[in-house]
This record gives sequence, C-alpha cells and structure tokens, in this order.
Amino acid sequence: MTRILALLASLLVATTAVAKDEFHLYNWNNYIAPETIKRFEEFCKCEVVQTYYSDNEELLAKLAAGAKGYDMLVPTSNAVQALIKGGQLKPLDKSQLSNLKNINPIYLDTPFDPGNKYSVPYAMSTTIIGYNDQKIKELGLPTDTWAVIFDPKYLEKVKGRVTVLDSSNELFAAALKYLGYSANDVDPKHWDEAVALIKKAKPYWAAFNASSYIKELTVGNIWLVHGYSNDIFQANLDAKAAGRPFQILQGMPKEGAVLAVDNMVIHKDAPRPDLALKFMNFMLEGKNSSELTNLIGSGNPNMDAVKYIKPEILKNPAIFPDKAVEAKLEQLKELTGPQRRLRNKLWTEIKAGR
Amino acid sequence: MRKRRLGLWTAALTGYAFLYVPLVIVIAYSFNNSRLNAEWVGFTLQWYDTLFHDQDMLVAAGNSLMIALLASLVSTVLGTAAGVAMYRYPSKLLSVLVLAPIAIPEILMGVSLLIFFVLLNFTLGLVSVALAHIAFCIGFVAIVVRARLAGMDETLTEAARDCGASPWKTFRYITLPLIMPGVIAGALMAFTLSIDDFVITFFTAGAGTVTLPLQIYSMIKIAVTPEVNAVSSLLMLLTLALIIIASKVSPSLLRSE
Repeated sequence: MTRILALLASLLVATTAVAKDEFHLYNWNNYIAPETIKRFEEFCKCEVVQTYYSDNEELLAKLAAGAKGYDMLVPTSNAVQALIKGGQLKPLDKSQLSNLKNINPIYLDTPFDPGNKYSVPYAMSTTIIGYNDQKIKELGLPTDTWAVIFDPKYLEKVKGRVTVLDSSNELFAAALKYLGYSANDVDPKHWDEAVALIKKAKPYWAAFNASSYIKELTVGNIWLVHGYSNDIFQANLDAKAAGRPFQILQGMPKEGAVLAVDNMVIHKDAPRPDLALKFMNFMLEGKNSSELTNLIGSGNPNMDAVKYIKPEILKNPAIFPDKAVEAKLEQLKELTGPQRRLRNKLWTEIKAGR
Repeated sequence: MRKRRLGLWTAALTGYAFLYVPLVIVIAYSFNNSRLNAEWVGFTLQWYDTLFHDQDMLVAAGNSLMIALLASLVSTVLGTAAGVAMYRYPSKLLSVLVLAPIAIPEILMGVSLLIFFVLLNFTLGLVSVALAHIAFCIGFVAIVVRARLAGMDETLTEAARDCGASPWKTFRYITLPLIMPGVIAGALMAFTLSIDDFVITFFTAGAGTVTLPLQIYSMIKIAVTPEVNAVSSLLMLLTLALIIIASKVSPSLLRSE
C-alpha cells in the first residue's frame, strides 16, 4: 500500500511541477524543425511542450469533447472552419503580428476564415503524382497530367505498380480535376462521370493506399502514386539514404491539384495566449518558416522565407509551382450532410467493385 | 500412438510460431542498418543509441511504464475485491456494474471519461490517464479472480471459520493464497492492457502527456524507423523479466494448482 502511495505521490509531483513557463503546441509529428524550437525557447524564455495528432478528425474529436491545456493548434483549413463554427478559437490580436505582411496575400482571406480573424497560414502540401524516375522514363510516361493515373492507355504499361490514396475526398478531387471540373464540384452528374473514370482505372491499380506507399515507392515495388507532396519528398530522402539506383520525383499535374494549408490558431482556453501570439509572429519570420520547408519539403506561403530555402527545393515545381499552376490549386471544402452521404455511397460502390 | 504425438507437436509448434515469430522479427529488425527497415541491410546498434538520446521517446516509455505499474497495482487490489464480492453476493446488478467496462467499446469509454474529467474541471495529465486505465482494468481482474474462486473448495473457508478465524484472517490465510494464481494473472493482464492502450489514453491524456502508443502512432505518418523496434524490444525484455521474477519469487504463482 505504501508503495502505491509513493507512486501516486510521484505521479502528482510529476504533473504539478510546472513552475517554468510552458507553451503547449498541439501539432503534427515532425512538423517543426528542432532548431526552430530551440531558438524560440531562447527567445521566449519558456519551454515548448509538443503533443501530436495524426489526423484533423482526432484533433476535432478531442477538442469537441472539451479537452483543454493546448495553446496552439495547427489544423488544416477545413478543420479551422469547423473549429470556428464550434466556437473553439480565440480571435487574433493582429497588432501583435507584425510579420503577417510576409504571407503571400493569395493565401490570406480565404472562405475558410474570412479576414483571417482566427488563423494564419503555417505550411502547405499538395496532392500530386509521385514516381520512380528510372521506371517511368523507361516506359516513356508523362508525369504532368492526371491522365497517367486515370487513362488505361498509360495505365496498361504500369499495371499493378500504381497506388492511389485511400481517401474518397482526395481521389474524387483528382478525378474531377482531370475531367476539367473544380475539385469542389458538387454536381451529382459530374460525380457520376468521376465514378465511371475511377472504375475504369481501378483494375490497373495495385491498391488504395494512404499509409505505406512511401515505403513501397522507396523499395521499388510501386512506381507511380497519387500521394501527398511531403510524403513523396520523404520517399526520395529515404531512397537516397538507402542508396537506391533511382529517385522518387514529384509531378505536378497541369490540370491542377488539391492544396492543403495548415494554419496556426489559438485555442479559446489557451493557458498562455501571450506565448501563442509570440510563437505565431516568430513563425511568420522568413528564416523560421523556411526551416520546416528545408526539413520536410513542405510548401511555404511566406514570401520572406524564399531566400533561406535550399535552391533544389525552390526549383521543384511541385513545391513551388509557377503562377499558372498555382492558380489551379484548390483547397477542399467541407461537404454538406446529404453530399457526404452520396459521396460515401459512391465510394463504397467503387471500393466494392460493383 | 506415435502419429498422434507428432500431430500434437506440430500443432503446438505452429501455435507457438504464430505467437512468437512476429515478435522475433520485430527484435531482429531493431538491429537493421536501414532507416526504411524494408529489407535486411546489415547489423547495427545505432537504433539503440538513437533511442537512448531520444528524449521524447524515453519520456513516453517512462510514462507508459509508470502508468501501467500503477494501474495494474490498484486495479488488482480493487478487482480482486470486486471478484470476491461478485462470488459471495451473486447479484446481477453487481456483475453488470463491474463487467460493463469490458463490454463498452473503447472509444465510448474514452470519450465519456474525457467528458467526465472536463465536467469535474480535472486537469488532464498522467493522473487522468492512470485513473482511466484503473477503471477499465478492474473488470478484467475481477473476471479472472471470480473464475478462480468458482473452482475453489468452499469447505476450506468453512473449516477456517469453524476453527475461529475472523473473516479477514480466513481471507488472508485461506482464500487469498488459493486464488493467488488468478490474482497474478489478472495483474499481468491489467499491466499488458494498460501499457498498449491507445484509444482511451488518447482521449484522457492532457497537453504534453505522451505514452508510448501515442508517440509511436503519431510517427506512423512520417514512416516508422527501427527505433520503434528498439523500444519495443526493450519493453518485451522488461515484461519477460517481470514474469521470470514473478515465477522465481513464488514458483507456484504461475501454475494453476
């Protein structure tokens, strides 16, 4: 019994010993460079404590149930919208954000948070084509169009070596883009066209895969994927480290693609909103923002960051697309209830292969 | 006769292989000299070195161990009491109350515990996780202990009472030693359930609280390195050590009779 009490006591001590200033960041794993954290800790004379989530839904569920203690969250735009609707966020005091001017205006004032009352962009990724440069060159396939994922004419050369994301939103968006519609198109007729397109291409795909395709690419089992730009960047780093004879490259489809912007927001019950604002302004500085891009190859909405970014990343058209393609990138909007039900029904139909 | 023996051996070996081969592979690949860990490249101790310098992972492993120890200790005491009570007073309501947490889907339990803690204005942290783990482990201990009691010879306790032993003395010197294997089994089960729980822990953990499953899960997005194998291997070693110590301290503990 005394042992139990001693353990309990040590637990209590461990949780109450928070004399030092702490800043609680609820973030994606590996989504801030270690050197950036270190510099911020020196700057704010506080300790950065990170907790991780791996899905926006996880974050939403936890906060909706009433979890507290987080100062800053880094959700994707549509989750920001949901958090605003749920009254979970604290409006920003813009007078503290002198570096907001560094953000490219095309990423500000979006329909997800009009006037950026609650959120500022942190980093971005796109959903694009990833490929094994050796194999794809051998086969003479294009890498700048969704046709290579959807058109049997190309697919028959890479049958069984292609994976697409196991996500109805992402796959429908890619198909709609290929058909020339908006990724956010909600016309049921256009959705039917997308379903027909996907069904025709499905026999050529090896799998719907959203988790292990990085590894499959680096090992060389899979040659072509529909995947997230950060993942494909990671796959290439891994392939290089493993000394593979090929590279994993990114292809930006000329039809456009899905853009995901992650944003910094402050939770309404943040214990230290002052530190959160300080952190926000700190991350809006070009150098600090550039370090994440250099680490994981994320897109960067910060105009001041460009001069600190490694040249090989800067000239990658999938991470820093030219103006024409940039204009065709779209952020996914939330579907309404009936739309979601229809989408789910179609998705089941696709997966079941009827 | 020989044929039957052979069949038995094959069946046993297949069974054990099914249980242990995956674990052996996990351990073997913790020595793999490849960040990707997709195929065998060469032997290295690098990942153990990385692990011992990875503050996040070590803190998470420490938290997991502390919570599992605490949860298994407390839930064993309470669960044993509950098991004895369920055996002695066979009321439907009591069984339902004790066993419900086993049947409730984890996600419901996680969310309701989170809402409960928020209602009480209880700061989420290691304590809330430990309390949640104790809550769902009690049922498992109780069920094992009750099963053990069901096989007990009732005349022994009656004899003890006849000889003038108080109810507490009877429990301490007759009942408890007899049900000890059940209690130990319950404690080990509670330990295992607690150390690898993800769903309930996810909901009840506060800002900055990490346990090993939470830490590993958040790494899946960016590819799992052999460091995860290394930390798993060490935990397996620790669990094995615990069982060996338990069986050395009291050889009869792990035997059924």
